[in-house]
Amino acid sequence: MAEPELNYYVLFDNFTQGLALQELLQNENIPARISPTPHILQGELSCGMSLLVLPQDIDSVRACIAEHGAAYHSITALPCQIRRHRDRFC
Amino acid sequence: MIYLDNAATAVRKPEQVAKAMVKALQEWGNSSRGVHATSLQAASGIYAARVKIARFFGCRRPDLVAFTSNVTEALNIAINGLIRPGDRVVTTAWEHNSVLRPLYRLQDEQGIRLEIVPADRQGRLDYTVLEELLCSKASAVVCTHASNLTGNVIDLRRIGELAHTNGALLIADCAQTAGTRRVNMDELGIDVLCFTGHKGLMGPQGIGGLCAREGLEWRPFKVGGTGVQSYSRTQPEQMPTVLEAGTLNGPGIAGLSAALDYIESVGLDNIAARERELTWRFYAGVKDVPGIIIYGDFAGEHGPIVTLNVANYDSASAADILAEEFGIAVRAGAHCAPLMHRALGTQEIGAVRFSFSWFTLDEDVDSAIRAVRELAENG
Repeated sequence: MAEPELNYYVLFDNFTQGLALQELLQNENIPARISPTPHILQGELSCGMSLLVLPQDIDSVRACIAEHGAAYHSITALPCQIRRHRDRFC
Repeated sequence: MIYLDNAATAVRKPEQVAKAMVKALQEWGNSSRGVHATSLQAASGIYAARVKIARFFGCRRPDLVAFTSNVTEALNIAINGLIRPGDRVVTTAWEHNSVLRPLYRLQDEQGIRLEIVPADRQGRLDYTVLEELLCSKASAVVCTHASNLTGNVIDLRRIGELAHTNGALLIADCAQTAGTRRVNMDELGIDVLCFTGHKGLMGPQGIGGLCAREGLEWRPFKVGGTGVQSYSRTQPEQMPTVLEAGTLNGPGIAGLSAALDYIESVGLDNIAARERELTWRFYAGVKDVPGIIIYGDFAGEHGPIVTLNVANYDSASAADILAEEFGIAVRAGAHCAPLMHRALGTQEIGAVRFSFSWFTLDEDVDSAIRAVRELAENG
């Protein structure tokens, strides 16, 4: 059985931090989607937002964070649970 | 009605302010609560407003901008959030009650030592006294950028330098200067800049905020829901969440954001120049009228305010006649500035304040000049 694809989540202390990093990533054409933080990752950050990043982009994201001194909480990976071809109206 | 009470609130707003508010009312969800499209629309709009405000006031980062309901709330957050029991705090006789009352309460309840720099009969501050007070271990200076009574502008850069040389914080009340002149917190040495949206910024009522220097240790004035870190017993420590418990005023922020766009499109320097022109037009038209007493120092920096008394009229009567007989709205009374009125010797009769905005017309000013002259002649 194939290994499930990993999703990388950049976690934040608040929405302002997340939106600031999203803007920086957009400026550098690095795709990142705002996502609810999966509950299993939340811990002390419960209910917050995260940025969902593709595995191939995670190094660019780290570089962007370092270059701009962007605020964030942590980066973590989780097997992808999103099935892109799921019937959305089933 | 000729509206000359813009120091209280700017009634005439740019058209896009109301449009932005209606759009936010109809389309925005609750910012920082969930990440569905409507919530994100609010979060993005509010973040964009933080970016604009940070740029407007020379604040280093958008997350250092916190929204409040007005400048009074911002000042309460700053004063209660940064001043500790036993601290020595310097303020001035120019202050509005939004500064004085929070400080008096800390004086009564937490034993802060409060020092007030006096003003003379022309409303001028003695900077030597201020310097002496700051040199003797003050932990903060809380002061207005411009008097809401006389319109005189304080030398904040000098106060900022003095404060930082002596290790004190500078908390600035920019109620009367935000939107009427360039205010850059970095250049002026402001640690916390408090502003409101509905005066010079031409936004809606019910929205204001503060811009903070990074690294301040806040004791939040209010705590509660933030949409993040929900299992923590305490308020999140990060700016701006530390100061923003509860749902933000999304439509108000949208309106303020649109107002900032308008100011940027017109140019703040153009607005300041126009308001200065209106102020001097009025001042020149009334200053030599027999029976008129004008307050404040017109030799120094001045905002778009001229305050006066007319002959033997009580200020309230003068304002009432101006409204009823001439259709001119001005503000009489004490203007929530008790120490300044005492300094000027007007605590018994108050004073009549005329304040101008970008939307004030030359004809409005000329009508006000004629009305004041007529009032003085009949007084």
